[in-house]
Amino acid sequence: MATLHQARAFGAAIITVGVAAAALTGCSTSGESTAASTEYTLWDPYPDRDAESTWAQAIDACAADLDITITRNSGNTGDTVKDLTTAAGNLPDIAMVDNPKVATLADAGLLTTTEDNGFDVSSIEENILSAGEIDGKVYGVPVGANTLGLYYNPTVLEAAGVDIASVTDYASLTAALEQIVASGGKGITFSAVGTEEGSFQFLPWFWGAGADLTALDSGEAESALQLWTDWVSTGLAPNSVISNTQGTSWDEFLTGEYGFAENGSWFKSAADEAGYESIQIPGIDGGVAPAPTGGEFITIPVQKDTSRYETSAEIVECLSGGDTGATALGYVAPTADGQAAQLDADPSLEFWTSAVGDAKPRTADNLGISYGVISEQLYTAVQNALSGASSPADALAEAQATATEKLEK
Amino acid sequence: MTSARRIGNTVIGVIFTALMLFPLYWMINVSLTQPTDLRKDPPNLFPVNPTFDGYSRVLGEQLPYLGTSLVIGLGTVAVTLLLSAPAAFALAKLRPRGGTALNFVLLIAQMIPGIIMAMGFYLIFHSWGILDTVPGLILADSTLAVPFGVLIFTAFMAGIPEELMSAAKIDGAGPWRTFRSIVMPISRNSVVTVSLFTFLWAWSDFIFASTLNRGGALQPITMGIYKYIGNNTQDWNAIMATAVVASIPAAVLLVVAQRYVAAGVTAGAVKD
Amino acid sequence: MTATHTTSRVTVRGETGEVAQSPRATSPVRPLPDRRLRSRQRLRAQLAAWAFIAPVVVYLVVFYAYPLFRNLDLSFRDYTLRSFIDGTAPFVWFDNYVEVIQSSTFTPALVNTAVFTLVSIAFQFAIGLALAVFFFKRFPLAATLRALFLVPWLLPLLVSASVWAWMLNSESGIVNAGLEAIGLTQVNWLTSPQWAMVSVLLANIWIGIPFNLVILYSGLQNIPGEVYEAASLDGANGWQTFWRITVPLLRPVSAITILLGLVYTLKVFDIIWIMTRGGPGNASTTFAIWSYRLGFGGGSPELSPAAAVGNLLIVLAFVFGLIYIRTQRRSERA
Repeated sequence: MATLHQARAFGAAIITVGVAAAALTGCSTSGESTAASTEYTLWDPYPDRDAESTWAQAIDACAADLDITITRNSGNTGDTVKDLTTAAGNLPDIAMVDNPKVATLADAGLLTTTEDNGFDVSSIEENILSAGEIDGKVYGVPVGANTLGLYYNPTVLEAAGVDIASVTDYASLTAALEQIVASGGKGITFSAVGTEEGSFQFLPWFWGAGADLTALDSGEAESALQLWTDWVSTGLAPNSVISNTQGTSWDEFLTGEYGFAENGSWFKSAADEAGYESIQIPGIDGGVAPAPTGGEFITIPVQKDTSRYETSAEIVECLSGGDTGATALGYVAPTADGQAAQLDADPSLEFWTSAVGDAKPRTADNLGISYGVISEQLYTAVQNALSGASSPADALAEAQATATEKLEK
Repeated sequence: MTSARRIGNTVIGVIFTALMLFPLYWMINVSLTQPTDLRKDPPNLFPVNPTFDGYSRVLGEQLPYLGTSLVIGLGTVAVTLLLSAPAAFALAKLRPRGGTALNFVLLIAQMIPGIIMAMGFYLIFHSWGILDTVPGLILADSTLAVPFGVLIFTAFMAGIPEELMSAAKIDGAGPWRTFRSIVMPISRNSVVTVSLFTFLWAWSDFIFASTLNRGGALQPITMGIYKYIGNNTQDWNAIMATAVVASIPAAVLLVVAQRYVAAGVTAGAVKD
Repeated sequence: MTATHTTSRVTVRGETGEVAQSPRATSPVRPLPDRRLRSRQRLRAQLAAWAFIAPVVVYLVVFYAYPLFRNLDLSFRDYTLRSFIDGTAPFVWFDNYVEVIQSSTFTPALVNTAVFTLVSIAFQFAIGLALAVFFFKRFPLAATLRALFLVPWLLPLLVSASVWAWMLNSESGIVNAGLEAIGLTQVNWLTSPQWAMVSVLLANIWIGIPFNLVILYSGLQNIPGEVYEAASLDGANGWQTFWRITVPLLRPVSAITILLGLVYTLKVFDIIWIMTRGGPGNASTTFAIWSYRLGFGGGSPELSPAAAVGNLLIVLAFVFGLIYIRTQRRSERA
């Protein structure tokens, strides 16, 4: 019937309009950056530093120096890769990225190198900088660095009769923990959560046992994981470590019941206030275990208008040079001059400054983008072993097998 | 029912409610706990040494976020009602061709996971220029509620007797007039139900807010919480205090509108 | 050609009392209606109907069809992060799906998704129904308490999940403190492969009860009081009344509730992610969690497999939905 055809045609018209609308919205994904040449955007993962914080003031000071405006936008550090991916056509001028992720983003072509943006990295400490170096090219500059150490509560240790000088390797540390538990305290707290934080916390023990990230199933790796597994199964470390973040672990330490806590330099002032002290994490047979470097990198993502790089590089210089940026964030400064300035202002930073000097970046040994894949398998293995789902040996064997498989693709 | 029996039921009701709301009490407890007691084993049932730091921070910093959430909530309700009520009317009463297909599509539309929607929206919003804006979030949040709204309204309007519709037609009213003057007034209860669900969903949305309004000047309260989740630390007092403060306006809304809360899902006002 | 009709008046029966309906209108004067007039009227009616649904159709296409299309596109190609910059992503058709199905996470995720969904819905519905029936009795404060039951819904999921994670913490959680107080040993709710699923189920059921309560309660309100009066006159006790009268009369509302519950529960992500991140290992990983973890949660983003898992989830929801609708139709006909 004619009317039915007309009715159907009308219906089809509506659908076509709808599809056309969708097509139009879909087609125009070429993000045009029409930002004025003195407005720059900066993304950082510090939402807890609000407009009055020293960090925000550091940024404002740089903006004033360069006679530009910097619009700051903070998000959750875990969302950085997702946010930058989603915003791929519309990247900010400066993006601060957690250091193990720099390689991933660089490989994806989202970041510019120092060749592209003209930044001079000669004064940055090498061991902190290398996380941003891939195949000889530098993709970002650290705003500062932090690392892990072993905090201890002198009151608890004294009550248990433990002498901190006796804690020099895995065996003596375990003995100290047993003494503390026997005297009614709790042993050690750390973070073994199923995220990069968990890998970060496990690495000093992993490296301290002599293991290497390219061979997750080695005997040395197994000893390290066995150490943690035994601590949890014998009650020297609480079961909650499996879901603890570093922040949660610190909250546990603050209750004053724990003897030891593995945590980072960013808690230095909180530790000072509570009267806690710190030593470097011991290796399996003595010595100091290499701890991983942490801290964000300031990167300059790819822009359509390449003339913006010059000013962006100056912003980076301003934030990473000297010590205002690093101190505002609670990090050790990335340059020798910056560190000297920090030590002048606060000599008690000595311990952490030298700890950072001894530390090792996670993406070193030319791991680059493989680190992300390996790290995921490592923390999964830790989770499986600590929760009793599999033995340390099995968990690590599976981790290595999966990592090899994924890296071969 | 005897008076004693009724009071007995009230007591049981209070116990059930207390059990259900215990996590909320715990939230308040944590918001008042000292940082050194946060991970005490066993935890304090009652904040023995309360700290109001969390609340003072929240009240000083989060009010703009609450205001934005309110605007977004109300805006989403408006958009949802505008879109879903007429469509439901057509599906229930006017019987368009392809109506069943539309119903089915609406059901499937609700099955798409949020992260997929959010990533798709990012591109659309970017080209429309509504990223990091309140109207943008209103549009995004409405996708949480429109299919549901159509479903509820259709169920309700299908129960409106045909005689009413024929009477209106005989009186010379076109479909729009019928919709506006007859159907909508009767549907008041389901309007309230849909509005309530929509407001609550928009109020507590997180995935769209974090993907589509990462840096806007005005952000909803769910993003306000992130201010207290730093890189390596979390300020739990403030986080829980934010949650408590965010719950208060919506709780007030619920208790005030409780008469309508359960009223309008099916055609309860019209019986043959 | 005109037709005359007399107007008819119909009134709505309110909460109380009956009102008589006046008789219907008389038929038109001419016995044979003009076919062209009728079909033009029908066309106009159809156009009017479509005018009403046009906004929603456009809305659906732009806001739902587009993300879905993008997701399909992502899953049929090999997207890396680089593809987002330079736009190159070769077509690999079903490779991503094959990879996902052959992955060792597939079976645990499938089982977990099914268990999570079915157990959640069963308990949410049962408890919601029990509470709806309970609150239907008239006792002081019933309405206020019922409104208070909705408060868990107001909390952003980030917060509800965090509170549950606090309460279920192995060391400092109130639940374990309670268990120890009555002499039982502590349960590692969130960190043991056996209990992780139970923990997220507890939280999800808690969050879903208000929704079921509200809808089932309104369904109860729609059952006329006379039915219950007749039943009690016939000597039926409470239990019989519930099973023989309430449940069958609630069927249409129950159908909507369970169907919506199904669709929403399959998508659940925030609760599990914040409480256990799908762990330990894969103990509480569902398809939604797996998809996010592949895309953004793990060490390196694997967006195409993530999209494939997401699409499999939508297919699963689709299948469940079809099965459910078919069972409903069959039981309605019976």
